[in-house]
Amino acid sequence: MKINPELVTRVLTKFIREETRKAGFERVILGLSGGLDSSVCACLAVKALGSENVLGLIMPYRNLDLEGQEHARKMAELLKIRHFKIDISPQIDAYFSSFPTENQLLRGNKMARERMSILYDFSAREKALILGTSNKTELLIGYGTIHGDMACGINPMGDLYKTQVRELARHLKVPEEIISKKPTAGLWPGQTDEAEIGLSYEELDNLLFKLVDLRQTPEEVISSGHEEKKVKRITEMIKKSEFKRKMPPIAKVSSRTVGHDFLYPYDWDK
Amino acid sequence: MKIALAQTSPVLGNMKQNLTHHLDLVKKASDQGANLIIFPELSLTGYTLRDLVSELALTPGSSEIFSPLLEASRKIDIVVGFVEERTAHPGIFYNSAAYLASGKILHVHRKVFLPTSGMFEEGRFFAAGKDFKTFSSGWTRIGLLICRDFLHYCSSYCLFAGGTGLIITISAAPGRGASNLQGQGFETSRMWELMGEAISFFSSSFVVYCNRVGVEDGATFAGGSFIYSPFGKLITRLPYLDEAFLIQEIDLEEIRRARKSWPFCRDDRPEVIWHSLEQIIRKKDED
Repeated sequence: MKINPELVTRVLTKFIREETRKAGFERVILGLSGGLDSSVCACLAVKALGSENVLGLIMPYRNLDLEGQEHARKMAELLKIRHFKIDISPQIDAYFSSFPTENQLLRGNKMARERMSILYDFSAREKALILGTSNKTELLIGYGTIHGDMACGINPMGDLYKTQVRELARHLKVPEEIISKKPTAGLWPGQTDEAEIGLSYEELDNLLFKLVDLRQTPEEVISSGHEEKKVKRITEMIKKSEFKRKMPPIAKVSSRTVGHDFLYPYDWDK
Repeated sequence: MKIALAQTSPVLGNMKQNLTHHLDLVKKASDQGANLIIFPELSLTGYTLRDLVSELALTPGSSEIFSPLLEASRKIDIVVGFVEERTAHPGIFYNSAAYLASGKILHVHRKVFLPTSGMFEEGRFFAAGKDFKTFSSGWTRIGLLICRDFLHYCSSYCLFAGGTGLIITISAAPGRGASNLQGQGFETSRMWELMGEAISFFSSSFVVYCNRVGVEDGATFAGGSFIYSPFGKLITRLPYLDEAFLIQEIDLEEIRRARKSWPFCRDDRPEVIWHSLEQIIRKKDED
């Protein structure tokens, strides 16, 4: 599971540089939560394109994650990138005053999509491509909001497990307080990913690595020492979230159909 | 013999732009005294083609894209990768490599082993070639392979049995596996080098590998093109991941020297191999 951080940095900066240019952009934009993933992604973007070509948006809801806000600002200043703070509270509150709910997941998803909507608006205003910051762990278990934080132009982080992102963060000299704090999706005060998922990231990544990268069967993973209950839960999460990793199915009627047999590369003529 | 390795990053689906880049590098290589320039797999088109395959297919003998390359080959031999459609077989497309020399197409190899699993889907869009042949050039007998062909060890054996002294593999191999903590390259790059080293020993031939670089649809091509001597010695290796151009002189007498030291070639028994394969295939049929 260990990565060669130097090689990974080289590959990901190259990816950002080439795919940004191919998409017709010179600049990138990303949401900064103050967490590990967006901090590492911002570092990579600066390495790839220079600090003048990276724009960070800090988009808090009220005082939900003050520490995150502070870390995001610190990261942006450290990297010397342009950054704005956009408070999403007015539009979120306006919506939920019409359709009230105490369901934190509904509220969290709405916030994630509000941030997405702002990122796409700023992407057009600033002519900057959106960098996604979803990591492999999240993508596999579906721990993200579809059309929310999962929406992006390109994703440099999606083939790195959370613990590998942490390794990369050390290599990129992300401040230790950001690396070592408990990861949170910021859904409610004091929320942590690990408490919500029910596994530590070390255990989760280890389990996913065996299932996905080493192509072991769930039975093999269980016999290698993981609790059966956890393995079943995670395999179920993977299965249930496949829709988040795909374009929606298109009903086939004709002899050549988008997504079925009209097959062109993303980087067509680029 | 001076060989130029063009570790390029083609523009996906834009043959005109790629051709211009080819001609620039051909001129550069020729001006610097190279005798042969080698481009990567599908160097004229890019790799992740999918439905573009049929749109970019060409027939070397009658192609406008090929004619300036053929013209340029009067000064320097050229190995180029492209999508081929033969006049006699319309609608059937091959992942091909051509060896051009003295204004003529000396040889075309059609990729036999089309990777079609995991991230690869070549078998969905290409037809498979049917043979491994060597051909004589002004230099030594040469055999061409394309990427995955080289990883099947029977391919280089056929070229070896066919009398090659120089195995040229053109490639579009994406890098995979980043947990190689010692080296600077992907784990798959290490695999290619190991195989290059081994095959050059087995065949007492030069093994020249030209891999592409660049990113297509998220996959990063690994570069790291190399040349091994008939003694299994690494002569040169280009950087991983970055575009590069290098002219390397090789001493073809090394083939003779290697075969004096290690008479694998003299002692080879292709008829025994043939006989054994025949028996194996018959037995398979019985099963």
